[in-house]
Amino acid sequence: MTPARISEEVHIDLALPSDNAGAICTAKRLAGQAGFDEAGQSLIATAVSELATNILRYGGGGEVVLRLIHEPGRSGMEILAEDHGPGIRNIERAMQDHFSTGKSLGLGLPGVKRLMDEFFINSKPGVGTLCIARKWRRL
Amino acid sequence: MAAKNSVLSALDADLSIRVLNQIPTPVMAVDKDFKIVFMNEAGCTLLGLPLDEITRFKCSELMNSLHCGTPECRMNQAMDNGICGTARNEVNIDGRAVPIAPLKDDAGNIIGGVEYVIDITSRVRDEQKLREQSRTIMEISTPAISLWEGIVVLPVVGVVDSMRAQQMMNTMLAKIKESSAKIIILDIQGVAAVDTAVANHLIKITKATKLMGCRCLISGISPAVAETLVQLGIDLGDVATNATLKDSLGEAFELLRYEVRKSK
Repeated sequence: MTPARISEEVHIDLALPSDNAGAICTAKRLAGQAGFDEAGQSLIATAVSELATNILRYGGGGEVVLRLIHEPGRSGMEILAEDHGPGIRNIERAMQDHFSTGKSLGLGLPGVKRLMDEFFINSKPGVGTLCIARKWRRL
Repeated sequence: MAAKNSVLSALDADLSIRVLNQIPTPVMAVDKDFKIVFMNEAGCTLLGLPLDEITRFKCSELMNSLHCGTPECRMNQAMDNGICGTARNEVNIDGRAVPIAPLKDDAGNIIGGVEYVIDITSRVRDEQKLREQSRTIMEISTPAISLWEGIVVLPVVGVVDSMRAQQMMNTMLAKIKESSAKIIILDIQGVAAVDTAVANHLIKITKATKLMGCRCLISGISPAVAETLVQLGIDLGDVATNATLKDSLGEAFELLRYEVRKSK
C-alpha cells in the first residue's frame, strides 16, 4: 500500500470487550467527517467493529488506529488494526468465507475485504497480526 | 584537549544522573541478566528502597509485574531484537497494584535495557469508571416492552457485544415466559454497527425464542445496514426482517390474525 497524506489520526486501545463501542463510535464520527454518507459510515464502522472484535477475541487486546487520508482526487479513511497475540497460522484459510477457528460465522476478515477498497493483512505466529484497510471517496 | 574532554564527560555524566533524578517518573536500566544497574530517585521512591539495595535485585523481583517472566516482557524483547517497545502493564509492589504504561525499552549495543514508567493509575481508574458507566447504560437500555397482547418489543440501542447479546437473550426469554408472548420484535435501528458477530448473536437469539414457541421478527434494518450485511456475505436465512418497526408490527398483527380498524 502506498502511503497517503494523513490529516487526522485517532488511536484507540482495545483491552476489554466494551472498548469496541468506542472504536465503532469514533469510526462513525470520523467517516462522517471524511464526507462519507450514511451507508459509507455504516460500512466503515462495521469493518472497524469486525477488526476490533477479532483483536479482542483472538489477539488478546491491541490497538486500532483510524486515519483520515488524502490522495490527489480522492480522500478516505484508513483503519490500522494491530495486536501482539498468537497470530494467524493460515492467512489464506482465514480469508476464506465460512472459515473460523472459533464458533463464529467465519465471515469477518473476508467481509472486511469486501466492505473496504484496499486490504492488507500480515500475521506471524507468536508475533501478532497487522491489518490495514482503506475506503476511498472520489472528490 | 583530551583532558578537557574527560572533564567534560565527567561533568556530563554527573549532569545526566542529576537530570535523570529530576524526572518525576521511574527510569530504570538493567544488564543482560535483568539485574538492576540503575534506578533514578522516582524509581527508588516508588519501590521504597535505597539505590544500593535495589541494585542487588533483578527487576522482576522488585516490579513483580504481569509481564515479568513472560514473552510479553518488553525488556526481553528489546534486548533480543534491539528495538524499542511500549506496553501497558501492571506492577505489584508490596501488594500495591500500580498499572503502568507506556513502558518504553531501548537497547543501544544491547548490554542491557533501559525503561521508564509512567504511572497511569488514575487514568486506569477513570477508564474503569467509564466502562462501568457504559455497562450501566447498556443494562438500562435493554427493556422488553409488552406492546400488545402476545407481542413484545425489544429496542436495541448502541453496541452489541457478546455480553450484551447474552443479556438480551436472557431478557427476551424471561419476558416470553412471563408474558407468554407469541411474537417478539427485535428492533435494531439504533445499533451502531451490525457486524458478523452481531448477526451471529441475532441468529442465535431468534433460534432460542423459536424453541420457546415464539416467533422473532427483526426490524429496523436501514438501507446502510442492509448493504453492509450483503457485503459481509451474511445470510440471515429464515429470520424474518423488516425495514421499520411499523412493518414488523403489521406483520405481527397478521400472524396473530389481529385487525386494527378505525372506528366509524
